[in-house]
Amino acid sequence: MMIPFGHALAFAAALFILGLTCVLARRQIIMILIGVEIMLNAASLVFIAASAYWQQADGQVFVILLMAITAAEVAVALAMVVYLWRRKKTMIADQFNGMRG
Amino acid sequence: MSQTLLFLIPLLPLSCAVINMLFGMRLPRLIPETLAICGVLGAFLLTILFWGYAEGEGTRAVLGTWLSSGSVDVSFALCFDKLSAPMTLMVTGVATLIHFYAIGYMRDEVDYARFFSLLNLFVFAMLAIILADNLLILFLGWEGVGLCSYGLIGFWYRKRENAKAGTKAFLVTRVGDVFLGIALLWLFALTGTLSITEINAQAEMISPGIVTVLTLLLLVGACGKSAQLPLMTWLADAMAGPTPVSALIHAATMVTAGVYLLCRLFPLVSLSVFGMAAIAGVGAITALYAATCALAQREIKRVLAYSTMSQVGYMFMAVGAGTVSGAMFHLLTHAFFKAVLFMAAGWVIHLAGEENDIFRMGGLAKNGPKELFWIFLAAAVCLAGVPLTGGFFSKDGILLALFTEGTLLYKGYWLIGVFTALLTAFYTFRLVYLVFAGEPRGEGQPHAVPALMRWPLWPLAVLGLAGGLLNLPAMVGGGESLHQWYGKLAGRQVTASHDLEWLLIALATGIVAVGWLLAHLRYRSYREPLDNSVSRFLLAGWQADAVVDRLLVRPFAAMGRFCSAGCDRTLFDGTLEGLVKLSGRWSGLLLQLTTGRLTTYLSAFAWGFLIMLGWFLLKLVNGGGH
Repeated sequence: MMIPFGHALAFAAALFILGLTCVLARRQIIMILIGVEIMLNAASLVFIAASAYWQQADGQVFVILLMAITAAEVAVALAMVVYLWRRKKTMIADQFNGMRG
Repeated sequence: MSQTLLFLIPLLPLSCAVINMLFGMRLPRLIPETLAICGVLGAFLLTILFWGYAEGEGTRAVLGTWLSSGSVDVSFALCFDKLSAPMTLMVTGVATLIHFYAIGYMRDEVDYARFFSLLNLFVFAMLAIILADNLLILFLGWEGVGLCSYGLIGFWYRKRENAKAGTKAFLVTRVGDVFLGIALLWLFALTGTLSITEINAQAEMISPGIVTVLTLLLLVGACGKSAQLPLMTWLADAMAGPTPVSALIHAATMVTAGVYLLCRLFPLVSLSVFGMAAIAGVGAITALYAATCALAQREIKRVLAYSTMSQVGYMFMAVGAGTVSGAMFHLLTHAFFKAVLFMAAGWVIHLAGEENDIFRMGGLAKNGPKELFWIFLAAAVCLAGVPLTGGFFSKDGILLALFTEGTLLYKGYWLIGVFTALLTAFYTFRLVYLVFAGEPRGEGQPHAVPALMRWPLWPLAVLGLAGGLLNLPAMVGGGESLHQWYGKLAGRQVTASHDLEWLLIALATGIVAVGWLLAHLRYRSYREPLDNSVSRFLLAGWQADAVVDRLLVRPFAAMGRFCSAGCDRTLFDGTLEGLVKLSGRWSGLLLQLTTGRLTTYLSAFAWGFLIMLGWFLLKLVNGGGH
């Protein structure tokens, strides 16, 4: 049974909002990064759904690309998290306010 | 010989000046000195060589075009005619002798290259005034002599007063130059040409009212350069310069440039009756003013400066009375004897131990060299107008021209002229008595001066004494040779009955005798100078400096203070600083946005995204089914 396109979009939107809320509400850098990952997954979901809906393979190809990029991004981001922890022994994002005007 | 070679006359001093400026200090002293002499002596010899070109209508020579734009066509043009040739000869001749004197006078000066290059440059600029056939070239020379005068008055600029005197001369003459500049531009607008010969030819086509205004403008320009009222305050202070400079620039040549300008443009100037009366009037008032000032001066060079002013006033009177030959005659004789007086004064100051005050001199006839006494006396009797000297004939010619002019106004000028002659005789003999008579009152020890400071005075003194031969009036058997020589350029023919002439001569002789007698009675034996309010008033030159200070300098300074404190610092600086503060406060507000907190940025990012999304949705709803 095909899942209707509207359901898939609604689920992706809900996932995106959850991710966004996580990004905005949490103070921990790790949690913000997790929020970003959730938002990216919501976007991937829209691609998959659209690919299935229009019977085109482009969306699936794009999602594979997105996964690869996300993996790279996470690797870089975690490396930076380790670096930030070494500098200030904290994971609170607002502590890193060196760019204050 | 090509007539273009006439350009060698001014260019010779110029090239020597340039060489001295560029390399003078690197060469042994003898070379710059020789070059300076060669420049002027060469110009003098060339003038004699080219004398034939002045015959008839004179010669115009064009070297090339300077400016050419539309109807403006300014060329390097010379006019070597009967008016300019004698003046060129006088300037180069006197300048040569004064250059010789200057070498003796400045023998201990370390800055000789600057001195001699400026002196040569001055001769070049003066020759440019004299020979120019183009008013713009004349103006170039006019400014050039002003510049050299400034540089030479303030030659010893390390002393503050000298530098200030130079600046004063520069600024005051600049006032006159502005008026001259206006006159030149106006003449160009009216006639479409700057050539002096063409302007003189077209003069009668200009409407009489404008001619009068032009004449007055030219008069003010001439007043600035010739130190006539009201632009006369600079000349007495100009005596701060070295004595050869005073002799050359501030006695013989530059101060007579104004007279020469009026003579050069005489066909234009003479068309305005009012203008002529104004010229004579300025001359008369200045002659009287300067003569009264000379009565009370204490410094020998200042006495001579005021007497120069006074004698130039006579020349102005002559121009105003319509006799160019009379003015030029007095100009020539005056140049000779006044140059001698200044150079002799330099000698006197030297002997008196660099003492300027005539009340601390005295006794030089007995203790000083006899030569000096006789030379000084020869020039002094010329200045005083003792009969048979050059000064007597030239001054008498001017007085006769004033007397025979006809109108009552000119009779008044004549009266002033006669009274000034009395004062002139008095202050001249006062000077002679104070310097030479009695016992020495100063510390100066008589000692020898270099030969170069002695012999150049002789030819000039002889020329001054015998200057009358240049233009001997008909009634004493002369041929009025100068008047004949000028021909058409000579102005009015002064005619009078022989009885009247003899009467005036007798009067002039009587006046000189009275002047001498008064000076003899007063100063035969030394007396302390009077120190009352009148003599202080005259010593300060009728307080002219104070008047100028009150009328011009202080209001100008007050205006400057107002502009600086009132406008610039308050209004402009205040506005600008206010703007700076305002933008500073605003940027402070903006600065608060950059908290450096990641969460703030993220939420701002989200809100911005939301607003953009809302905006596009709104457009989608409104735009319909695109």
